[in-house]
Amino acid sequence: MVRESVVRALGAAASVAYAALIAWLTVSQPQSIAEVTGGLTASIGVYRVDELAFEDGLRFFHQDQFVEARAAFHRADAAGRDPRTQFYVAYSYYREGWGRLSHDDALYAKGLEAVDRAIAVAPGGRIVVDDPGLQMHSADELRAELVAGTTREWSDVNPVRVFRGRK
Amino acid sequence: MTPVRESITLPLTFLTVVLVGGLRLGGQVAIAPPALFSLVLASLVLGGLVQSGVLDPMRLVHSDRTAVANLNGVVALVATFAATAQVLSLLTPAAGLPSMGMSLFFLVAILQLMAGALDRPRFLRVWAVTLLAAFTLKFIVLAALSGPADGAVARALQLLFEGVTLGSVSQPIEPRASGYLAFLAIALYLLGLVLLPPAQRRALIARH
Repeated sequence: MVRESVVRALGAAASVAYAALIAWLTVSQPQSIAEVTGGLTASIGVYRVDELAFEDGLRFFHQDQFVEARAAFHRADAAGRDPRTQFYVAYSYYREGWGRLSHDDALYAKGLEAVDRAIAVAPGGRIVVDDPGLQMHSADELRAELVAGTTREWSDVNPVRVFRGRK
Repeated sequence: MTPVRESITLPLTFLTVVLVGGLRLGGQVAIAPPALFSLVLASLVLGGLVQSGVLDPMRLVHSDRTAVANLNGVVALVATFAATAQVLSLLTPAAGLPSMGMSLFFLVAILQLMAGALDRPRFLRVWAVTLLAAFTLKFIVLAALSGPADGAVARALQLLFEGVTLGSVSQPIEPRASGYLAFLAIALYLLGLVLLPPAQRRALIARH
């Protein structure tokens, strides 16, 4: 009788956990095993980024080697669950896509995706990065800059804009 | 029915059907929830399962049972419903005339099953044939009509067919693995139906 109760309790727990996993997969639609494990570990608060890879990424980022930086950031945060890393990924797209006369819309769009991902996983959607090498320290500023860069408006033809610097 | 079957085997089998049946292998892998109309059809199928004696809900949820046993029963019933809806959704083409036609086909088939008042073995047999027929239509016939043609004649025939049907039959091209996954989901679903606790009333009447 005791054994039957244990089997039933275990069965109920396993079924509910399995159903919850299927519901989570349906809602979050992960595209790789890293995203699955990252999402699951993040949901119980034990997700960690690879600090060494992050430092590599940061070094590349500050040397304007954006492709290398993103590769290192991807290694550091394969599941895309760390707001700070995703902020830097978005920033790298911004800096790489920035141009004095025109911006690269494709890179800006990717930057916007990354910053939205960062905001989605940040507690309360707030990200502030204290890095003296950056001119925009919050995800809100970065997002606004990326959105402005992909929007067509009359100010785009203003000749004064060539004097604007990269942030 | 043993507690292991009721609390572990049945829910895990049906939940696996929900998972495998929901997998969509397009450019990106996605898990799709069942369509709304499939939920309506699944309710009817559940009625048919009870009517035919394939499933006796009283053996899963009853006041004489303990709370944990009833919880297992409820989980098994919900999983059966979800798996049925997912299988019906899986076998319904994605768009156009075939989608509407298949939904109608399922509705008529389920109503016929219920009107026929079949017993357990006959219900299971007819339901299996219905699902396999739908599988053949979607994953073999429609896939052949919508997929890339091998030769010039096949391509010409395809173009002719598309022209005659005004393109309302063509479906999004699915990878070959989708068909195998769908077959696995159907096989697991049918296995789960066989494992459900059958009604014992008919057996007792037959003995008298």
